[in-house]
Amino acid sequence: MSTAGFDEVIHAPTRLEIVSLLAAAQWAEFKYIRDQLGLSDSALSKQLSTLESAGYVDIRKSFVGKRPRTSASLSRAGRRAFEQHVAALQQIIARSQQDGDARPTAEAETGILKR
Amino acid sequence: MGGTQQPQPAGTGATATKAAAELAEIERTQKHVIKAALVPVWYWWVMAAAIVAMGAARDSHNGVVLAITIPLAVLVIAALIIATIPGVRRGVRVHGAVKPAAQAAVAIPGLILLVDGVAIAVSATLTDHHVLHPLAIGSGAGATALVIAGPLLNRYFGRLMLRNARQHISEAPGLGGPWHGLLSSDPGDRSPHHAGSTGGGGSP
Repeated sequence: MSTAGFDEVIHAPTRLEIVSLLAAAQWAEFKYIRDQLGLSDSALSKQLSTLESAGYVDIRKSFVGKRPRTSASLSRAGRRAFEQHVAALQQIIARSQQDGDARPTAEAETGILKR
Repeated sequence: MGGTQQPQPAGTGATATKAAAELAEIERTQKHVIKAALVPVWYWWVMAAAIVAMGAARDSHNGVVLAITIPLAVLVIAALIIATIPGVRRGVRVHGAVKPAAQAAVAIPGLILLVDGVAIAVSATLTDHHVLHPLAIGSGAGATALVIAGPLLNRYFGRLMLRNARQHISEAPGLGGPWHGLLSSDPGDRSPHHAGSTGGGGSP
């Protein structure tokens, strides 16, 4: 069973955007990702290669007529890692909220003791 | 494989703010994908214009006008319908788990029935009362229903898809906690930097 896990590969801002985009999609074309995220071809290629090396992204290359078309999709491992990363973020916030809720109670108790 | 770690303790508020900003950024990016799957506002207006053109052409009782307008309007409507078929629109395909398939199966025929129903009812009533240009006015009424209900339907699908995207993550095996409690109802298009400066994706 998978658990929440903070993922350093996904955590990087540009890769987080790419993975978030792909998580909502079955696939997305290279051009679409590039335009949506405002990246250069080389920057996107580099990040996709990193994600592909991590086993998080599947790259598919095809031809439409004579034009090459590259599309990317999140692999099963990538989707799981993304879900775990989101869960880890949620846990961080939830713990922070619990700490925030606990603090006033502790302060109130201290106040009672002082009196 | 990527370096997965157990979540760090909350530590400072800054960590939680960064986490909230990251979640807001995820939602903002996913909103772009969802938006790409929805039809633009002009779609409804072009469709409405084609419907009115057909009604007006029928009222003209002019063979030449009918021969030109009807095929042209049918072509426009067909092109608009084909453009909405998944896969035809290039660039991105929304994940199956995000699509509101069941609701769409009811809502889209419902919209068609509404538009046709309004157009036919108004046209028939006006024809009975011998009002001039009953088909043009009737199709105009149907077109008005379309430009009002179409964007509303679009927004409804957008909300459903965003909700599905959140549930898809929160319902993943072994994961807990729905997103909607952690993010505000509409984080909009805030940048991560902006979201961070305002305390992240909103208060629960």
